[in-house]
Formats: sequence, C-alpha cells, structure tokens
Amino acid sequence: MTWETVIGLEVHVQLLTRSKMFCGCATSFGAAPNSNVCPVCLGLPGALPVPNERAIALATRAALALGCQVHETSIFARKNYFYPDLPKGYQISQFDQPLATMGSITIESPERGRLAIGVTRLHVEEDAGKSLHDRLPGRTAVDLNRAGTPLAEIVSEPDMRSPAEARAYLTTLKQILRYCEVSDCNMEEGSLRVDANISIRRVGDTQLGTKTEVKNMNSFANVERALQVERERQIALVESGGRVEQVTMLFNAAAAEVRPMRSKEESHDYRYFPDPDLPPLALTRLWIERQHAALPELPEDKQKRFMGVLGLPPYDAGVLAADRAVADYFEAVVAQGVEAKTASNWVINDALRGYNEAGRFGVAPERLGALVALVRDGTVSNQAAKRIFGELEQGSEAPRAIAERLGLVQVGDADALGQWVDEVLAANPKEVERYRGGEAKLIGFFTGQVMKKSGGKADPKKIAPLLQEKLGNG
Amino acid sequence: MSIRREDVLHVARLAELEVAEGDLPRLVEQLGRIVQFVAQLNEVPASERAPAFLAGPAAVRLRPDEVAPDRLIHGIDRFAPEFPHGFFAVPKLGAMDGGE
Amino acid sequence: MSGVAFIAEAVGRGKTTAATVAREVGARLERAAPLNATLDWSQAVLNREAARVDALRQGGGALPLAGVPIALKDNIVTTDQPTTCASRILEGYVSPFDATVVHRLRAAGAIIAAKTNLDEFAMGSSTEHSAWGRVLHPLDPSRVPGGSSGGSAALVAAGVVPAALGSETGGSVRQPASFCGIVGVKPTYGRVSRYGLVAFGSSLDQISVFGQTVDDAARVLAVISGADRFDATSATEPPPALEPARRDLTGLTFGMPREYFPADLDGSVRAALDHTAHSIQQLGGSIKEVSLPHTRYAVPTYYIVAPAEAAANLARFDGVRYGPRHVGPEGDVRALYRATRGKGFGAEVQRRILIGTYVLSSGYYDAYYRKAQQVRALLAEDFRKVFAGGVDYLLTPTTPTPAFKAGAKTADPVAMYLADIFTCSINLAALPALSLPVGRAEGLPIGAQLVGPMFSEGPMLAVAGALEAALDAKREVR
Repeated sequence: MTWETVIGLEVHVQLLTRSKMFCGCATSFGAAPNSNVCPVCLGLPGALPVPNERAIALATRAALALGCQVHETSIFARKNYFYPDLPKGYQISQFDQPLATMGSITIESPERGRLAIGVTRLHVEEDAGKSLHDRLPGRTAVDLNRAGTPLAEIVSEPDMRSPAEARAYLTTLKQILRYCEVSDCNMEEGSLRVDANISIRRVGDTQLGTKTEVKNMNSFANVERALQVERERQIALVESGGRVEQVTMLFNAAAAEVRPMRSKEESHDYRYFPDPDLPPLALTRLWIERQHAALPELPEDKQKRFMGVLGLPPYDAGVLAADRAVADYFEAVVAQGVEAKTASNWVINDALRGYNEAGRFGVAPERLGALVALVRDGTVSNQAAKRIFGELEQGSEAPRAIAERLGLVQVGDADALGQWVDEVLAANPKEVERYRGGEAKLIGFFTGQVMKKSGGKADPKKIAPLLQEKLGNG
Repeated sequence: MSIRREDVLHVARLAELEVAEGDLPRLVEQLGRIVQFVAQLNEVPASERAPAFLAGPAAVRLRPDEVAPDRLIHGIDRFAPEFPHGFFAVPKLGAMDGGE
Repeated sequence: MSGVAFIAEAVGRGKTTAATVAREVGARLERAAPLNATLDWSQAVLNREAARVDALRQGGGALPLAGVPIALKDNIVTTDQPTTCASRILEGYVSPFDATVVHRLRAAGAIIAAKTNLDEFAMGSSTEHSAWGRVLHPLDPSRVPGGSSGGSAALVAAGVVPAALGSETGGSVRQPASFCGIVGVKPTYGRVSRYGLVAFGSSLDQISVFGQTVDDAARVLAVISGADRFDATSATEPPPALEPARRDLTGLTFGMPREYFPADLDGSVRAALDHTAHSIQQLGGSIKEVSLPHTRYAVPTYYIVAPAEAAANLARFDGVRYGPRHVGPEGDVRALYRATRGKGFGAEVQRRILIGTYVLSSGYYDAYYRKAQQVRALLAEDFRKVFAGGVDYLLTPTTPTPAFKAGAKTADPVAMYLADIFTCSINLAALPALSLPVGRAEGLPIGAQLVGPMFSEGPMLAVAGALEAALDAKREVR
C-alpha cells in the first residue's frame, strides 16, 4: 500500500516592532519577569487595546511579499479561552475577516522540483505570556513580559506532500520574511513557531484524511523529523486497522517521538466575535501601496536577476540570493568593478565562511574589490590573493600592503625574470635539446622551474613568452 | 428554543463558573426565560448579509510604534494574590496542558 | 455650597478654598451614610485631593472645576482608593492606574469625593445587585434609586455633591437620574474615553454625568470629553461647547415616538410628558408624532449584545493576577477559576455571563449574536431616518414608572430588564441623550428624556436648559 502525506503549516512570527501590539510596553527580551508590563498587557480592569501601526505595516509587507491580497477592511476578533498566561481570558486575533488572504510562494521541493505552495491567510494577533513549570516548587509561574507581543500568523494550504517539502516551505518563508525585515524568524528564541497539520491518504484519493496537529518543534530539522515520526505513526495505525483521531501531538526531540497533548473538555469552542474595543482596521489603497513600495527585491526575483542580468549560474545565484545580507554584499563587491562570476566565487568560496561564523562580513566590499584588482593587474597571483584575504579578515591593513609585507607581489620585471630563465635553461640542457627537437609541452616544465627559482613570485603569465623568446633564439 | 440542564452545564464550563447542584433548576428556568425573551428577534426579517452595526469610529486609529506604556503607580505585589519572585503563581500545570 | 459653577468660581477666585469644600463634603458624606451610596471615601483622601487643588490654583491657570467635589461610580478605576465594581471578585482591589476621566477631572481642579455604590459590574437597574447592599432612594428609603449608577445618583440628589460620574450601558445613568429627580447625560458613544472604566458591554458603555442641574452636568461633560490615545473607540470630535441655556425653542421640532407611549404607560409619567410637550410648545418649539418601528426589539437585542460582550470582558477576573482567590476542591487551575468566579460573582452577573457565553457558543452565534447585530443596525437606522426627516430631538419618558419598591423586580430578571425599555435603544444606536426632571407624582420624581443626533450634546443641553427654566420639576403632575 502506498500512502500520500498531506501537510499544511501554521507559522507564527514575531513582528519586529519596538513596542507591543496593543500597548506601549517594550518587546525586548531578557528583562526581569513581569517588568515589561502595563495595565493593558496585564489585562487589568479598565484597560483598553490600541493597535501598533508598525505591526500592521510589517504584517502588510509580509502579506504582500507572500503574494497575498491585502484587504482594505479587516476585523479584530476575540478568541475566548482560559489559560493562566492569557491575561484577558481572550486573545485579540483576527478570524473571519483577516488582514490578507490568497497568497502563494514558490519553493524548491526535493521531490517535485519548483512548485507553488498556497498561503491561505495572514492575520495579526497578540502573543500570550509564558508559563514556566519548573521555576516554583509545585506551582506554575507566569511571566507576562511576552504577553501582547505582535505576531503574524501565516497559514498555508495543505499543499505539501512530504516532511522535506514542509521544511523547504519553511526555509523559503523564513528567507522572505527576513528579507522584508518583518521578523528575524529565530526559532530558538521563539520568534518563529510552527504548528503542523498532517494527514495521510491512499495515493489517488481526493478526500483528505483526518489530520493531527503537531507542535513543539524548535528547529526546521525537528519539524521535518516530527512530521516523519507522525507520518509513520499514522501509517502504522491505519495499516493495523486503526483510525487517526483529530488530536494535538507534542514532539519530543530527545526521544524522537510524538505524544498526544492532554486536552480540556471544552477546548474547541473559542466563541470568536468582533472585538468591540477595536473599530475595523481600515487601510487605504494608497497606504497599502506604500507598504508595497517599501518591499525590497525578493529572493526569487533577485536570483532571476543574478542569472539574467549578471550571467551567474543558477547555483551561484541561488546561494547569493538566499540571504539578503549575502546578496547585498555580493552586489557591493560587483559595484567595485569586480566581474560578477569572480565576485560570486570570492563571496561563496571565501567570504561566506566568516559570515556564517560571525554573522557579518569581516572584509569590506571596497577591500575585496582592491584585492581582486591586484589579481587582475598581475600584482599578486590567485593563490597569494587567497592568503591575503585571510589577512584582510584579521585587520584593516590594505591588500597591497599585506602583499608586500608577505612578499607576495609577483615579479613581472623582464631583467629579473630573464635572469631566472637563463639560469633554468643553463641548468637543464637536455630538456632544452628535447624542446628544440619538438617537445613543445616541456614549456610547462620550464615554467615550473622558473616559478620554483623565484620562490613563487614570478608572474606566470610573463614567463612563457620570455621562455619562447630565449629558446627560439638558442 | 429552550435551555436544558446540559446547556447550562456546558456554558458554565466554557465560562469557568462553578454552579452548585442546588442552583441548577432555578438557573435552567431563569436562563430559559431570558433566552425565550431574546429569541423574539427571530421575528425580525433581516437579510443574511445585512451589515452589523458599528458603534464607534469607522476606522481604528493606530498608535505609533513607541515605547510609552501607561505606568503602574504601585507594584503588582499590591494586588496579585500570589506573586513569588516576580511571577504570578498558579497550581502546577503539566507541560502537556496546552494553552489553546 | 451649591452648583458646579458657583464652587468653581468661589474656589477659583480665592473666596474659599478647596480644603474648606473638602471638609464640608466630608460632613455631608457622613450625614448621607445611611443611604449606603458610597463604597469608599475618607476625609484623609478628600483633604489630599483638596490640597492638590489648592496647590494647582496657586500655580495659576484657569481651573473650570476648581474645588468641585465629584463622586465616581466604583467601576471607574482610581489609585487612591479601592475599585470593586460592587463585586466580591474585586474586594480590596486598588488599581495601579487612574482612568482618563480621573486625570481630566483632576487637571480641571476637581476633587474626587467618593466611590459610589452600584449594581455589581453595572448590571442592574436598582443597585439591588450590589455585593455590598442596595442604595436607598433619598426621598423614600423603601424605594430603589435606580441603577446601576444608583450611588452616584443618590449622592447628587441628596445634595452631597453637585455632580457625579456614572456609566451607561443601557440606561444606567438616565434611569436613576429620572428616579432621583436630577439631570443625567449619556454622551454619544466615543465622546468620553472608556480607559479606566471597567468594561461591561464595550460597544455600549459610556461614562456619563449626573448633575443637580443641566449646567452642572454640562460643565463636567465638557471637561471629561475628547479623544484619548488610550481608547481606540474615542472620537476625535472636540468636546461639546458650553452653550448658555436657550431662552426659547423657536424653530425646533421635537419628535414623540409613539412606541414610547404604550397604552399601559404609567399615568403620572404620561401626564408629566404631556406637560413637558406643552412647555415645549409654549417656548416656540413644535411637537410631531414619529415612529421608531423596531423599538420593541431593543431590549431583546440589548440582552444579547451586552451579555455577550460582558462574558468576554469578565473573563479576566480569574483569580490569577488580582482580586481574592478561592481554591477549588481539586486544587488545580480550573478548580481555582471555577471557585474564584463562582464565589466572586453574584447571581445576576453569573446569569449574564452564562447567557453571553450561550449566545456566542458554537451553533448559536448566528441565531443570536449575529442576528442581534443586524437588528441593532435596524434600530440605529430608525433613529437616523427620524433625524433626517426634520426632527431635531426626540422627547420620551425616561422610565415606564417612577422609582419602584425595593424587591419588586428581583425575583424576575426579565421584569428588571424591562426597566431599560426607553433607554437601551439609545445605547444600541450610540446616540446622546439626557434625562431631565419634569415633575413629581406623590413626591416621586419623573424624568423626561431628550435624544439627539450624534455629537449634539452641546445644543441639546442648551435646549434642556430652556426646559429646566420653564418647568417646575417639583410640581405634582396630578
């Protein structure tokens, strides 16, 4: 029996604002518990919410970048449930009139190649606080610093067919959101959270199977693993004659297993209704257009441009466009007059290592440009340039100064080269004889000997003509 | 439409209200009368898509993204029933008890 | 000590001091204690308030309410004394922030005099649902002062303070104003910031004003009105201008909606309204019979919308962050919620939470909540049409009867709800309205209600001023 997996994802990302969604408290982390709180996010009697314009702007940008239709009118709704870290007894969210709907993004599926994944909706809401179960003996401790943090919830269509596709979707989504500076999408710090809906069906079936929701994954790799585990569980269950129940499963990364979450009896009647404290969120076309104009070039467009305009191979273009900072760095190097493929080689082979380690580029584009220019005009060899790049990352010394200090400047002076050539020819009379007898490939041997004699400093491009001249004169 | 005992127990659970067994018959009767009273609205012909009424401004006014909270004049410990080490404390919840 | 203008003038010009006013108010509050109208006041707080006002006055600048003592319904949060909403669930709770209206009153030089008794969480029409016992009607202790803002109404009617704040959701200021023979003004929804008003029905709630006279109420309303950055539903319209009372009503048309004068209307109320209509005509205004056809659906609509919003608004009272906590037998969080809320909320509040939860719950939302929103739009449209059709103001009774006896309606929640029959439409339609005393029957005051178009408070108060001058509100109507 072959099974098809159907996966849809709900992703919550924290919007990069200074203040909370509905009050003026700071969103910064690491503060003492319950210190970034005010009457509004504590849910005190008499407090009222007022929405943060930047949160709306960032969510709008995200929606536009995901190809969604942004609605001129959307409605804040109350989602009612009791939980100790939910101060008001309801969460302000959006329900039947969300900010944006009907988007799609293109992902690179490991199994199916490039394909579009639908984005059902994007809406804004506030986060709950944090419940800590290990701080107080026998008690759960509640910290409301996070309560009211602005979130965008992005719901995909059930368009993914494997855990690997789910991961690819997340990777692309994160790229886009980071590009737009909507969210830093840091899963470890909780600024991106994923809930996955998964079901299985027999290949060829058009009806969806009963889905389960999988939660508690702290990395994209864990999302993939959790979905693999849950898929296997569902298949084993159905194949042994059981039925999948609609439950929420919690992933335990250490044990690589999923377990059903205990659910309270009345868990799924949230009694959504429009929040009477908040008039409709009405956005003008002009305002939405302004958010559109504020969007940067997105990764997919950038990759296309790197290929089409700059002539890069697809692999290079893909690697460079995946991260906005990398793409910007690459373009800054090109702006120094470096040919695109050369710049790409330098960025991908050399500069990325430091960026991945330090999170920033240690060599300014101007200095890399200057180094490439030294290679171009023959001052240093390619090999020497790699060494110099390592030095550039360590300090602020100019490339030429480093080349000189390390004795890496190539010798192109005809007199010096002539002397080394003469010495090599004098020391190898047999080979000279054979060359003159027609073994033209020995030119490589002589070049190598000259390089050796020069201690690597001779400019290889200038040796051959000199050799040919001297051997011909012989 | 009348309210049954199970309906009262169901909404009481949703609303997290403890209802004493002895109060149930009276509540069922009272809520039944209230629901019957408000159900008069079914007489009013109103189209499915009739717009809902809006009491306040037509559009919400947004707030600039500035850190400017209304401050607390006195500490949380003045009103919290249990506030050890700067946390609100409640009976222990398992990590498996989800919020939503 | 007399009206708002008199005190503000005397204190403002230094003829007396806020400290003197505070001592006098303290003495009067002491004498009024048997009314059970206050939940918290102290001479110490009064003196502190007065000292602040006298210091402010030294600093110069005009203080429109210099030294004016104002009582606040105890669902408006203050940092100087507890705010309990007359509920055990908030017993002893002291808010760490002040309501916007409190800031505005203080900046205008007012003295916050007392926190007043109410029906628990403003749910009721008699104050009999207060956890701390009902308020007595100042003219007849066997009767209720009306509600839910009965404590504020009683203090103004008893001459303890010239003005007070209450709150309206379905008539909670106009109805007690009518019962107590004073002026009650419910502003247009959004006119006054709700920040710091403990929410009941958020789309209906509006802080409202009691005054001994129209002028008292108008002066306080002018101070507390205006947009607030902490309330997204507050309107940007400038506060209503203080207009002098009109001398005549020439050129104005007053609509009397026939649905507000049913056959079984109390005879004394009908007589008082006839007399008021007559006065309007004598002042040059014209009277026209009009119709608001959806009126009979107002109370049912109200008792869906308000409880639904209340059920969500009262979810925050869960014993986690504030208020007394009760621990249930199972010792877990849900038991804590159920015990805290079950013991903390009174019977009427629980009934409304249950109804509100029911009408929002899965399977019932469309039949009740959505339907109510649609009927609410129809009700508002009734008013819009009447005002667009050449009617300047509506004239109606405020209540179907004068103040009723304590205990008369406590057994039947629906009978109590019908006490709002002439007032709650106006909240549903978000309109401004006021109740003006227009006569008495066997010593009990009767109020007439004026309703105006959105944001018409300024001119409507000027009209009320004309009627106030023309009518003898203490005159027996038959």
